[in-house]
Amino acid sequence: MTRRLRAPVVLAFVFWGLPLLAADAARDEVDTCLSCHGEKGIDKKLPSGEVQSLFVDRVSFEKSIHGAKLGCTGCHPGYQEMPHPERPAKDLAAFTASFRETCKSCHFANYTKALDSVHFAALSKGNSIAPFCADCHGAHDVQKPNEPRTKISDTCSSCHSAEAEAYGQSVHGKTLAATNSPDVPVCTDCHKSHAIADPKGQTWRMKSPETCGSCHTDEAKMKKYGLSTKVYSSYLTDFHGRSASLIAGQKKQAEKIVAVCVDCHGVHDIARVKDAGSRVLQKNLLATCTKCHPGAPPNFPAAWLSHYEPSPKKAPLVWATALFYKILIPLMIGGLVLQVLLHLWRVVVNR
Amino acid sequence: MTEAVVRFSKKQRVEHLVVMLLFMTLALTGFPQKFYETRWAAFIVNAIGGLDRVRFLHRMAGLLFSVATIFHIVLITLLALMRRAGMTMVPTRRDFSDAIQQISWYLGLAKEPAQFDRYDYRQKFEYWGMLIGSLVMVVTGLILYLPLLFTRFFPGEFVPVAQVAHSNEGLMAFLVVITWHIYNAHLSPDVFPFDTCIFTGKISVERMHHEHPLELARVTGEAADASPGHGAAPGGSAPPA
Repeated sequence: MTRRLRAPVVLAFVFWGLPLLAADAARDEVDTCLSCHGEKGIDKKLPSGEVQSLFVDRVSFEKSIHGAKLGCTGCHPGYQEMPHPERPAKDLAAFTASFRETCKSCHFANYTKALDSVHFAALSKGNSIAPFCADCHGAHDVQKPNEPRTKISDTCSSCHSAEAEAYGQSVHGKTLAATNSPDVPVCTDCHKSHAIADPKGQTWRMKSPETCGSCHTDEAKMKKYGLSTKVYSSYLTDFHGRSASLIAGQKKQAEKIVAVCVDCHGVHDIARVKDAGSRVLQKNLLATCTKCHPGAPPNFPAAWLSHYEPSPKKAPLVWATALFYKILIPLMIGGLVLQVLLHLWRVVVNR
Repeated sequence: MTEAVVRFSKKQRVEHLVVMLLFMTLALTGFPQKFYETRWAAFIVNAIGGLDRVRFLHRMAGLLFSVATIFHIVLITLLALMRRAGMTMVPTRRDFSDAIQQISWYLGLAKEPAQFDRYDYRQKFEYWGMLIGSLVMVVTGLILYLPLLFTRFFPGEFVPVAQVAHSNEGLMAFLVVITWHIYNAHLSPDVFPFDTCIFTGKISVERMHHEHPLELARVTGEAADASPGHGAAPGGSAPPA
């Protein structure tokens, strides 16, 4: 081989040849392992009496996202040895837990994010049914988690069925089912996929304007559905929004709860604003207000401008009051400052 | 020590002090709510100990301020009806001509500054501005404090109207105080650094001669000096003989 050709040949081997060889090696390895594990009925009885199947379905593994890339020992290191190393697991939960770090070596970022999740917090507290990697993604049959997008809510629904059902009936869920559009939020858009925060805390609740706002201030996205992007700014300038902003910035936990998006619109069951069942429809609004303001009279909901900015048509009195001060304040302060300056000028001139 | 006369009664001095302290408290606890997005708003809220406490203090100070305002209005009304009070704060036609003359003098169009009685046109303007502004703040503040009660009798839209009015009227009052009032009470060359009159109740005869010659003349029975007027007047610092 000439000196000139050496580099391209080496590079071609590294980037093309090696993976092929590796894939070949992986396939050989799978064949070897499945000669035992491909047979149904290969089980392990755990000290707890529970039985863990050790059967791996060849077809579903080969179809899986890892099927063409990974062999068995990629996830089960050390198992090329015969007999296999002992795996001291007293029950199924411990058996599953012993595989938990398997994904880390390749998917380090998502693995560490998941360590911050409410699921891992539950696991650490001893809740053995809280999910980790394989519970959502599957083990030997791992597929892309978001194809189709409805698959995501299906995955979550295996534990959170009530929420998933409510979501399915919501404006988001229905639109997703009809269009499969990436515009529509699925579970993981609001809750995140790996660093899933505790939704029961105040922190999460107070973040909801930001969560909803991330799509509802997106001009291009909202235009497609004829929705206003002013909902976020009009919320912030109102009493609830101001309070929420200030509470979010304070160190001390607030005693009084202040309404955020989900308090009026709902959480998983958010309806189209104009739907008959919508909490924010004019005729349902009083009932929604009284959740936090018991005894609110029928006039009370009109104190909220329904995300409208004051204009001569919507809330003319509010608009006129704002205009009045927009004129009065500069006139007043300008006039007084002018008097001050005239006075000072006279002092200087007369000196 | 220069000769001094009593200008403000104890009641007036206490009233000023109370309003001053309440005004500061209300501004400190009110502006973070108006300018909720700023870092200084978050700083003040944290320094006070959270939004709930900020609102509690604002409402308590507001209630006290309402009591002080209503007390003042009731008292001056009664005194006026009983003809026990001088009508020194009531704007008259003379105040308009005074204003025109004073401004002409500032501009060099008049030879003499205006001569004032107990309160000059600027003080009357500030007093009535403060009184009307206080009423706006009290009424809108109560609406915002008790929206459930208020909307029992009035349309809901009045609540955001009250919010806009309260927020803007408060800002205007604050701006008037930090420009106009602070200038007149502290920064003006006539009183720099501090006009203590409203705290001690006493004012020097010399200042009376310059600033309120008509009142001085009324009280002492002497005719007003021919060249009194403002401290800014040429050579105007000699006390009356």
